[in-house]
Amino acid sequence: MNAIHRRHPLRSSSEVVLRNLVVCGLCCFFILFFLVPIVVAFLGSFHLWNPLKGQYRFNGLTNWKMVFESSLFWRSMGNTFIFAAVAVLARVILGLLLSCALHSKTVRFLSTLRTLYYLPTITPMVAVAFVWKFMYDPQFGLLNQLLGAHINWLFDARYAMTAIVLLTIWKDFGYAVVILLGGLYSLPTDLYEAAGIDGANAAQKFRYMTLPLLKPTILFIVITSLISYFQTYIPVMVLTQGGPGTQTYLASYIIYDQAFVKYNFGYASAISFVLFLIIALLTGLSFRLSGQTEKER
Amino acid sequence: MQKQKASSGGSKGSGILLNAVLILFSLLTILPFLWMLSSSLKTNVEISALEQSFLPKAPTLQNYLNAIEKMNFLRYFFNSFAYAVAITVITLYTSSISGFVLCKYRFKGRQLLFSCILATMMVPGVVTIIPRYSMMQLAGWLDSWRALIVPSLFTSFGIFMMRQSCTGIPDEMLEAARIDGANEFYIFHRIILPMLQNALSSIAIFQFLWAWEDYLWPYLMIRSESKQVLSVALNMFSGRYSTDYAGLFAATSIAIIPVVICYLFFQRRFIEGIASSAVKG
Repeated sequence: MNAIHRRHPLRSSSEVVLRNLVVCGLCCFFILFFLVPIVVAFLGSFHLWNPLKGQYRFNGLTNWKMVFESSLFWRSMGNTFIFAAVAVLARVILGLLLSCALHSKTVRFLSTLRTLYYLPTITPMVAVAFVWKFMYDPQFGLLNQLLGAHINWLFDARYAMTAIVLLTIWKDFGYAVVILLGGLYSLPTDLYEAAGIDGANAAQKFRYMTLPLLKPTILFIVITSLISYFQTYIPVMVLTQGGPGTQTYLASYIIYDQAFVKYNFGYASAISFVLFLIIALLTGLSFRLSGQTEKER
Repeated sequence: MQKQKASSGGSKGSGILLNAVLILFSLLTILPFLWMLSSSLKTNVEISALEQSFLPKAPTLQNYLNAIEKMNFLRYFFNSFAYAVAITVITLYTSSISGFVLCKYRFKGRQLLFSCILATMMVPGVVTIIPRYSMMQLAGWLDSWRALIVPSLFTSFGIFMMRQSCTGIPDEMLEAARIDGANEFYIFHRIILPMLQNALSSIAIFQFLWAWEDYLWPYLMIRSESKQVLSVALNMFSGRYSTDYAGLFAATSIAIIPVVICYLFFQRRFIEGIASSAVKG
């Protein structure tokens, strides 16, 4: 029966027209705005390319050599890894703690709390970064008043990265809470009742049941967060411009800076390809890992 | 009921403590917004005063009037809104029609096409943005709305979501309509589209928010201030009026408050939307 539906031989002319229209549109669009740009960026990384000066001259591996010999590049890669690791870890831990707390039966106002936790995630990044820039202000900023401290958050090398991480955590933890809470609701309740009868305490249930069962969800959050944190540049642009010194340069910020402030398109393309490679690796890794969890089930 | 209470294990006291901690945390979460709002009602003198108070002593709307008159923020607000609505409406249509064709029609290369579309979701924006910028420059589209809208005609995320939703529509329904003599355009617009409402509204929310907060692309494409969008204008004015904190607080509020209000209205949809987008993981 299915075979009949799958391959209805009397394909109407309108189906052919609609199908061709859509396929044609999709092909044109994705070739023009993805395939061509990727190829152009790759070729561009082997050229001295400056659109302001009208330069586009082959210079072999010079850009790539410059990338790997640049201490700023390595510095920013290091910064990016630290930034991403801390932000992801905080996001997952906060997400787990809060979602488990919200999941408990004694919690009132569940939906209001969830709504409030998720609020920073939906607000526009540029605007929110400005609010935090003011929060960090040593003169009138709210943060120092709350902490009773006199920290020059954005201009002190010891605190600048912390400031960017804090903003990122605040903005994103709600996403983890909502997704993990969804995961918690989908867990089998009878299993927990059985474990309760067998005398498992709350910590044991969390360690040996909740955590393994939530593993795919946690993995999903880790991977999507890593991918987006490797591309973070707006907080850096608004808060510190990479400073003080090179303290808060992130990989994406260098690309932004090289491409659209200094107009070194070739050099920026080379860096963007390094980033592309890292993100592709992470994505591949995530597929391998999620494949493994499928098997474990 | 009795059982649940027992299994949650906590005494009444720890329950209250838990609630208190969670509520405190939610207040901390929204504190930056409250502070922004309250500061936007203060004068510059009060903001930079030595004695700080959370609430404004003499609330004034002057900052908002300044942001609207001096910085022309209503204009940017309208531009952002128009830009976001245009992109949202277009991508809703293109996503649903592509999702429908990719899901319900069988043709050669369909799977390959869909895989390619999915693969583009993993391409970081920084890789394609430099060539895209050059393309727009070559086409002479800089400083025009075309440059903002054309690169967003289709979104892989939307197509993916719509294709998933279309799998829930039984093939028998299409067959019945075909036997009744309906052509495919009629079937899509009159039968399929209304059935996709839920998915459409969650995509609409995401798409609108993404377009609303989009910074780099409008910043690169748009040159004349009269066509500029809110997030770029915000960054522009923070340099130009860097000492007018009160004005900047008001401008920031103008960018954030509408989103928050919209969110509070449709919060259920928002939360369902992200839950359903996470299922793919």
